Amino acid sequence: MGNGLGTGGNNYITYSGMIWLLAAQLVVMLPFALHLPVWLIPLVLFAAGWRLWVLSGGASQPGTLLKLGLMLFGIGGLFLSGLKFPSLEAMSALLLLGFAFKSLEVIQRRDALVVVFIGYFLVALHFLYTQSILAGLYGVVSLVVLTGALIGTQQTVAEFTAVQNVRFNLRLAAVMLLQCVPLMLLLFVFAPRLQPLWSLPMLTDQAKTGISDRMTPGDIASLSQSAELAFRVTFKGERPAQNQLYWRGLVLNHFDGHEWRQFEQTPDLWQMKELVRQEYAFRPDAVQVAGTPIEYEAVYEKTGQPWLFTLSPTLKVAGDVLQAADFRVMAAQELQAPLLLKATSYPQALRDVQLASSLRELALQLPTDGDLRSRELAQRLRQETGSEQAYIDKVLARFREQQFFYTLRPPTLGDSNTIDEFLFESQRGFCAHYAGSFVFLMRAAGIPARVVAGYQGGEWNAQGQYLAVHQYDAHAWAEVWQQGKGWVQIDPTAVIAPQRVEQGLEAAVQAEGSFLQGQLLSTRHLPWLNGLRHKLDAVQYGWQRWVLGYDQTTQMDLLHAILGELTLLRVATLVGGVLVVILLGWLLMLGLARRHAREALEHQLYRRFCAILAKRGVVRQPGQAPGAFAQQAAAALPAQSDNIRAFTQVYETLCYLPDASGYAKHTRQLKALLGKLS
Amino acid sequence: MTTAAPQLIQATLAQLNKVILGKEQPVRLALTCLLANGHLLLEDLPGMGKTTLAHALAQVCGLEYKRVQFTSDLLPADLIGASVFESQSSSFRFHPGPVFSQLFLADELNRATPKAQSALLEAMEEGQVSVDGTTHRLPSPFFVIATQNPQSQSGTFPLPESQLDRFLLRVSLGYPGPQVERELLKGRNGRQALANLPQVLNGQRLKALQSLVPQVKLSDNLLDYIQRLIAHTRQSDVCHLGLSPRGAQALVKSAQSWALLQGRGHVLPEDVQAVFVAVAGHRLVGREETQGEQLARHILDKVDVIGSGHG
Repeated sequence: MGNGLGTGGNNYITYSGMIWLLAAQLVVMLPFALHLPVWLIPLVLFAAGWRLWVLSGGASQPGTLLKLGLMLFGIGGLFLSGLKFPSLEAMSALLLLGFAFKSLEVIQRRDALVVVFIGYFLVALHFLYTQSILAGLYGVVSLVVLTGALIGTQQTVAEFTAVQNVRFNLRLAAVMLLQCVPLMLLLFVFAPRLQPLWSLPMLTDQAKTGISDRMTPGDIASLSQSAELAFRVTFKGERPAQNQLYWRGLVLNHFDGHEWRQFEQTPDLWQMKELVRQEYAFRPDAVQVAGTPIEYEAVYEKTGQPWLFTLSPTLKVAGDVLQAADFRVMAAQELQAPLLLKATSYPQALRDVQLASSLRELALQLPTDGDLRSRELAQRLRQETGSEQAYIDKVLARFREQQFFYTLRPPTLGDSNTIDEFLFESQRGFCAHYAGSFVFLMRAAGIPARVVAGYQGGEWNAQGQYLAVHQYDAHAWAEVWQQGKGWVQIDPTAVIAPQRVEQGLEAAVQAEGSFLQGQLLSTRHLPWLNGLRHKLDAVQYGWQRWVLGYDQTTQMDLLHAILGELTLLRVATLVGGVLVVILLGWLLMLGLARRHAREALEHQLYRRFCAILAKRGVVRQPGQAPGAFAQQAAAALPAQSDNIRAFTQVYETLCYLPDASGYAKHTRQLKALLGKLS
Repeated sequence: MTTAAPQLIQATLAQLNKVILGKEQPVRLALTCLLANGHLLLEDLPGMGKTTLAHALAQVCGLEYKRVQFTSDLLPADLIGASVFESQSSSFRFHPGPVFSQLFLADELNRATPKAQSALLEAMEEGQVSVDGTTHRLPSPFFVIATQNPQSQSGTFPLPESQLDRFLLRVSLGYPGPQVERELLKGRNGRQALANLPQVLNGQRLKALQSLVPQVKLSDNLLDYIQRLIAHTRQSDVCHLGLSPRGAQALVKSAQSWALLQGRGHVLPEDVQAVFVAVAGHRLVGREETQGEQLARHILDKVDVIGSGHG
């Protein structure tokens, strides 16, 4: 490369090459500004600007000491920016810092190669932060610009104007990348999907979203203000009715008078996993299967939490998940990326007909004191009613008949006696209030009960034939254990606001107008945009389902579908075959590209003219000049002689009159005459 | 182009065609050669009217005309002239030879020895002759028509390729058509017609016409075609010797001149094709024993007239 054509052994990057490099660096670094210190962006401008200044002769190249000082300064800045060392963010910030500073010492072409190659790596690195389809598209754009810069830094002679240069380089880059697409697809589909051997403490301070493992009245109301997606579901068979869609997330057993929690002590993930593997483990024999199964696939958004949401009880489930004694399904890791789950549920099955004593104990727990009026009410009602079922009905009837209101703007409750305050004073609240107080009343009457948190309902996307469940679908309901029936699901909210479970939150609070009221800009307030929103969402779902969700299991399924029984030989033959096809395609393209130096438009038109006449029996010999051919053709086809002569005349003017102006006009004439001829 | 130019050319052609019957194409080529300021080689069997053509051309164009019959004992001095001692002035004085004329007819060039041939060819190339260290300019315009018998005839010295290249065009008259032949047999006297031939041009006018030739326009598309032709002659499987750059220049110049003769201000592929055989026929050497002319025709058929770039 050193003594390339006409460069005279010049290995240095030109001014325009440097600008290309700067543009590529900016494009690559821009999305990181959302996740990492923003001042890295001005830094790259500063470094590249300095280098450009040096190139134009305004300054001399900075010395080693100065560069070292800058580097230390930058690392100090990273420390001060509040990044934790060591973490993935700190490492990527460090890489970006080096990337930004590198442009200061990009002098030779091989330096530019370093920058561009790190740029490719950074494009991939960004996918650790977000894997949305938009990020994917942006990544493609970054690749094109990076490749353009790779070309730009190899150019020595400025033959083009700036605009031509940009267009040429970008087009060449796009063509090169397009040629890589088949290979990329091959690698995507067939490369083994290995689990990582090690992992860095990743994205430690990432916000946890969605349902939390504790419930104070107020939690779910804040979720109801979020239009963020929680998960999407496709059903194999018939879609269940909207009011059947209770997506069980976690079970809250413990009440301390103010807050509902899972257990008395809140376990961390590791403890929770231990619990679920041992005393709190799921026993398949606790379920008596009945009714028709519902088969579905769900893709959960990343939340930073391990909770998954399924129709209960789930019997068959694929993937790296745990099942607990309370029939929940949870992930083995916190969700840092979308997760695909295939599950089969039997909503009509009986659960825990024989209740284990430990579970009974959990389901009867009450705080030692407080909420005396509610306890007294429970005792009184239980005595008035003969049976447990009658008592349950009585409590629900009380909700229905007294002045209870469903609202997302309930009055704030105090720190203690919250149940009393709600049941006898405010009487305004949403699912968390009703589920909590209902379970309290049950337990106070000696009936095992518990709160279930999760989502209810979802938005059906007819475009994509899937159900999208959003954060505002968050819900809490109750479960009561009855002799002979096991756990029975009861949703007291459905009694007060039946629209909530039949049509969703928006319908339930329509009069109040509190649905997503914090998000004035949300497109949901514009009904005419909903169709478009559904379409976009369907595309995103497809991306998640088929691209991000393409894991080892899906890969195996696909290979099975193609090959039948999997043997190394078969897989190797398939991959080799596809590879050979790609290579042949490339060779073919190379050959075609070389042979086809495209002729100018006027000659193409003339050849079409010849083809038309050849069909009528007048064939032009290659050595025949246009004029001579026109005479021959006009003689043979007297009816067309005028058109033939006119066409030939325009063509001759265009080709042989050197100062003929109006190229566009002439070619238009040629086209028009061709139209007449054919 | 002056308005008179097309009429002048047409009148000239008309007069020439009166003398050389039924040979419009060779006559036109001869005039093309004259306008392009090149020299003409007429190759034919004896008695085909070569001399008549040269004579007629000189007469119509109003050129001072000299003719030398080349023989094997011709010496260079017989052509160029020599310094002769004059006793009155006691000095040598240069006596110009017949080559000092505006139209010089070298009859049967290939019967002279190479030495005499090359003396003429040098004069043709340089436009001047040097004798005893003094350079003498030849008159202008200076136009040589050489006739040549086919080389298979006995007693000839074939011209080498390098010297053939000096002639812009090579033209053959060929046998006359039956109609014309019949008239000749009836006793039509060509020399008679020659004597009555009016003068149309003169040196001045001829020079003016010659100056118009380089102004005839060449488009990029046409040059593409010419270059395709040249490239084809240089393909080793077609020709042993392709067209030299001088040959290529000759092709362009002749095509321009031919276009002018057609009264056009730009060159068409037809013009190139019309002169190609005359330009390339004596310059190309085939792989096998193909004649140059056949080869040139073959190339014309093979090379596509239209195509490739521009726009």
